[in-house]
Amino acid sequence: MTSTAFNGAQMAVLRSRFDGVVRAMSNTLLRTGRSGVLNRARDFSCCILTRNGDLITAADSLPIHVLSGPDLMAKSVMDFHPDQRPGDAFLHNSPYHGCSHPADLSVIAPVFDGQGRHRFTLLAKAHQADIGNSQPTTYMGEAVDVYHEGALIFPAVQVQRGWQDIDDVIRMCKVRIRVPHQWHGDYLSTVGAVRVGERNLTALADDIGWDRLEDFAAQWFDYSESRMAEAIAALPSGNVSGTSTHDPFPGLPVEGLTITSHIAVDPAQGRVTVDLTDNPDCMPCGMNLSEACARTAAMIGVFNSINYQVPKNAGSFRRIEVQLREGCIAGIPVHPFSCSAATTNIADRVANSVQTALAGLQDGIGMAEVGAVIAPSAGVVSGIDPRSGKAFVNQVFLGMSGGAASPSADAWWTVGHVGNAGLCCIDGIEHAEIIQPILVHRRAFVPDSEGAGRTNGAPSTIIEFGPVGGAIDIAYLSDGYVNAPAGVRGGGAGGGADQHLIHADGSHERLPSCAQVRVEPGERILAVSCGGGGYGSPLERPPEKVLRDMAEGLICADRARDIYGVVALPGGALDAQATHLLRGNG
Amino acid sequence: MRFATDTGGTFTDLVVEEDDGTITLHKAPTTPSDPVTGVLDALRVAADARGISLAQLLARGDSFIHGTTHAINAIIQGRTARTALIVTAGHRDMLLFREGGRSEPFNHAHPYPQPYIPRALTFEVPERIMAGGVVLTPLDEVAVADVLDAIASAGVEAIAVSLLWSTVNPAHELRVGEMIAERFPDVPFSLSHSVNPTLREFRRASSAAIDASLKPLMGAYLGSLETRLAEAGFAGRVMVLTSAGGMVDASEVVVQPISAINSGPSMAPIAGRHYALREGDYTSVIIADTGGTTYDISIVANGRVAMTRDLWIGEPYRGHLAGFPSVEVKSVGAGGGSIARVDASGLLHVGPQSAGAMPGPVCYRRGGTLPTVTDACVVLGYLDPDFFLGGKMKLDAEGARRAICEHVAEPLGIPVEEAAWAIVDLATEAMVQAIQDLIVNQGIDPATAVLIGGGGAAGLNSTFIARRLGCPRLLIPETGAAMSAAGAMMSDITAEFAATVHSNTARFDLEAVSGAIADLTARADAFIARAGREGKTQFVAEARYEGQAWEIDVPLPEAEFSTAAAIDDFRARFEAEHLRLFTIVDPASEIELIGLRARVQCPARSGGSSFRLALARAEPRSVGMRQVYFAGCGWVETPVWRLEALVPEEPIDGPALIESDFTTIVVDPAARFWRSEPGAILIEGLPQ
Repeated sequence: MTSTAFNGAQMAVLRSRFDGVVRAMSNTLLRTGRSGVLNRARDFSCCILTRNGDLITAADSLPIHVLSGPDLMAKSVMDFHPDQRPGDAFLHNSPYHGCSHPADLSVIAPVFDGQGRHRFTLLAKAHQADIGNSQPTTYMGEAVDVYHEGALIFPAVQVQRGWQDIDDVIRMCKVRIRVPHQWHGDYLSTVGAVRVGERNLTALADDIGWDRLEDFAAQWFDYSESRMAEAIAALPSGNVSGTSTHDPFPGLPVEGLTITSHIAVDPAQGRVTVDLTDNPDCMPCGMNLSEACARTAAMIGVFNSINYQVPKNAGSFRRIEVQLREGCIAGIPVHPFSCSAATTNIADRVANSVQTALAGLQDGIGMAEVGAVIAPSAGVVSGIDPRSGKAFVNQVFLGMSGGAASPSADAWWTVGHVGNAGLCCIDGIEHAEIIQPILVHRRAFVPDSEGAGRTNGAPSTIIEFGPVGGAIDIAYLSDGYVNAPAGVRGGGAGGGADQHLIHADGSHERLPSCAQVRVEPGERILAVSCGGGGYGSPLERPPEKVLRDMAEGLICADRARDIYGVVALPGGALDAQATHLLRGNG
Repeated sequence: MRFATDTGGTFTDLVVEEDDGTITLHKAPTTPSDPVTGVLDALRVAADARGISLAQLLARGDSFIHGTTHAINAIIQGRTARTALIVTAGHRDMLLFREGGRSEPFNHAHPYPQPYIPRALTFEVPERIMAGGVVLTPLDEVAVADVLDAIASAGVEAIAVSLLWSTVNPAHELRVGEMIAERFPDVPFSLSHSVNPTLREFRRASSAAIDASLKPLMGAYLGSLETRLAEAGFAGRVMVLTSAGGMVDASEVVVQPISAINSGPSMAPIAGRHYALREGDYTSVIIADTGGTTYDISIVANGRVAMTRDLWIGEPYRGHLAGFPSVEVKSVGAGGGSIARVDASGLLHVGPQSAGAMPGPVCYRRGGTLPTVTDACVVLGYLDPDFFLGGKMKLDAEGARRAICEHVAEPLGIPVEEAAWAIVDLATEAMVQAIQDLIVNQGIDPATAVLIGGGGAAGLNSTFIARRLGCPRLLIPETGAAMSAAGAMMSDITAEFAATVHSNTARFDLEAVSGAIADLTARADAFIARAGREGKTQFVAEARYEGQAWEIDVPLPEAEFSTAAAIDDFRARFEAEHLRLFTIVDPASEIELIGLRARVQCPARSGGSSFRLALARAEPRSVGMRQVYFAGCGWVETPVWRLEALVPEEPIDGPALIESDFTTIVVDPAARFWRSEPGAILIEGLPQ
């Protein structure tokens, strides 16, 4: 085995080539996936791990999918299958063994060299439109346990041998997952992605040599760790705590559930510790975090608060310690508690508690709260399509914003939620109306709902839609009505969530936060998603930006004056004197 | 005689085609504030070269083909018309929602982009058409009149209209258009179903908005171009290059200026396709056009130039999605000006920061202090400091070496030539990755493809790129330095007409599809009549498996769906294309037809042409030797050849440098090269 160190130039080239392998995997999934969750919302991730399960690269994958999780899953495959062979592949979606939540069905395959040595592990994770739950949704907030949830769970179950499907497993899925043909199309895409990765990684090894690729991984981890240490060294030292409160939901306390994180930043040592043990025990609902999501959510909060160029891999992760407790709702779940909605609701609260706590350390660090989810405008719709007579089930992405202000810029509005970071696509109205039998009557951003600050959080979205030609069911779990996304360092809260059923006679009925609702022809759902919190005092916001938002009809004159201390002359120009007085500069 | 120009940021390229088909290349500096001046200057250079006056030259021309960045620059610089947008009630924020997506999930320094048309100038009208084309809410004309009142007081110069499902039922858009024309006879407007009849309202609205906003400006620009050419003595036909890789009469672009937003770059693959056929019957072609700051990649797959509907103006997700079909040209921020640096943890980076034209690379002596790819090429001996651009510019080799030493070699702890090689190698890698993404998406196997290098800098590292890609052959055309302008000369008069027709192989709506085909055929015939030439029309189906999100283009030899056999044939063609692009087919799945397009093609010149470059002849010998550094070999005594002096079809083993007034081509010791009879340089690996 060669042990000559790579220089910084050789490292840079190999890093690019590893990323290229992951991009080829992702392209395969994006372009061949069948369900909207994959091909429109891009709700999938691909990554390369060492044979021991250390994450090398996940390129531009969804943060909540990959920071931690692939590592735990790859290790569980090693434990359950110590005698892997070339051409093996394993299905994995068990939140009790490292997966994020059961809907994130993953295919994991070892990559062997020509001598039969296991060298690397590839993973492709794709959110399914359905995973066989007792109800047609992949986020079953009210599931009292995994039996009630009803998801098919695969704790590292072999699905391919010698590059061929083990048909027993495929048949099981086809009889237990709704719209089996769509599921099978997505499965083929996911396996295809892993096999494309295997082919490309092998070609890379033909060029460079397997030993050298392993050497690279080791050195790449050291480099990334060093970048992480530098980034943490730029933070002030201190211990801070943050909280973020989830709304009351079925199975959660009536006052809601507050997540607390205790964070220790040690710039001298270049380490951050996030302690999540001070949180309630698992609860009889689908909101418990998987270990993967608890770890990852805490890490997202940290990475959102530091230099974004630090590579995210097992090397930089050495500098973040996440302390978890077994049996904790934001920790390591105990079977049979359900983790159906582990990637979103409580996970979002964990990440928010971390990034808002870090904002408390010093101006210029951390972020405001990203809005909570999942409003009905991003819910799972199902029913029978009257145009074809066939059953359908799909998550729609009609509207969501949620973006939080950062110290350096206004929010990116359409982030979806903190764990998605905006990678998700938004459905075109016409496209949505072709795919599902629905009509979207209105889609807009809500004026005056931005998280006001020196930099602003996103405004809320409002979507009004209903069925065409027959009833539809819509499942959602919309956090953020009671606890709107908070601002930090004097920034205001963003708009909260809300949902109504508009009856055929035009009357409104407020809907619960977490439900599955039947919408009859002539009725409409009105869904308001969360905005995002602001950063810093709105009185410090540059007046020209306030005036621009006013001219655009995004904020009214009263709000400009009362919240931002900015007064416009008739015609829209700045009333400098009145603004000066209101802002208390003198 | 025909003229073709491509106005670039620095130079305006001109290609002149004599009546016998031979072509010559000329260049003049671009005047950014007045692009027509650069065009006239280039024509003057060509006239001087022939010893005649500008008026005499122009009098001999029968067509003038113009590639222009005027439209796209106006968008980037915010100089377009103040434009209003009219949309369906309830959907005022259509341009603000976009389609989601974001790059760099942890980079929070980029705020959400502003919409192309301000929200304040976006107006709703009550109306609604449903997916099948049925009117749910009739157009409220009283409300439209009120909106037009509001638009009148807003002082706009152009209006765009984008209503939901207008592609399936355009009645409401057409009526709003009539009302605009009555109310504002002098204000140009664009209707979305006419500009870009595609499913997906955001793209259609974006196309209509961009189109309307360009109308006043492009009308004035093209009017001025025609007038000034006429004043200078040109009496022929003025043609403008389109984003789709063809040309149309300038009057067509005035009516639909969005069709010219990617006017120049779309021509590189047209030229590439010609040279690939000429030099070896290749139908899979990767074309790289190099500039100082970008590296533009385009593809020919199965003999067809690859197209995209994802044309971004500015960075993906952060800029504006034009939504308009265009030749796919992927730009990578890697060029001669890309800056190399080593970060605090010891990793080398090349780009995305660029020294651009100013201050430029250190060796240009314009004040640049940070090492660039060009500086690395000087240190490696690729570029002759005394003979850059045919000797027009002396390079500071010592400065380049010093900068690389200080900023790269010392931090990495390696010798300066290794550092210079590392810079070229990493820049090469960025280009290779970008090409690989594109060829995967287009279903191209590099082992059967040819790589074509165009632009002044392509010769420096294309040998390495071809090897990394696994492309057996590299082709540097004789017109490489002005490939877009040469492509313009080779392009046809083309147009594309589209219709949204949603149907499904399980329940085929023959009536709707036949209606769309008849409509497209009529529009295509009308275009052919306007072009005044023979023309042919080909149909393309936009189709996908049921439930997929994105359509693929399926070329149809004839638009025929009336029998079960015809629909089986359509399925077979769809599956062949799906297999080529994605390597899988799904015979159990129905196929959805989403739209049809009619592509019209009329030859721009009568009779064929070889487009042969008139080359000066010189003595066939190497002009000297130079020390050149090659990875794995070290410094190698390398012969330098003049391009004009090479004897056609005589292979010469590397290492070698081939120089012309426009470019330098590097052939490393593992490769060999020869000049083809018409003047291209071909490079391939030495047999093992």
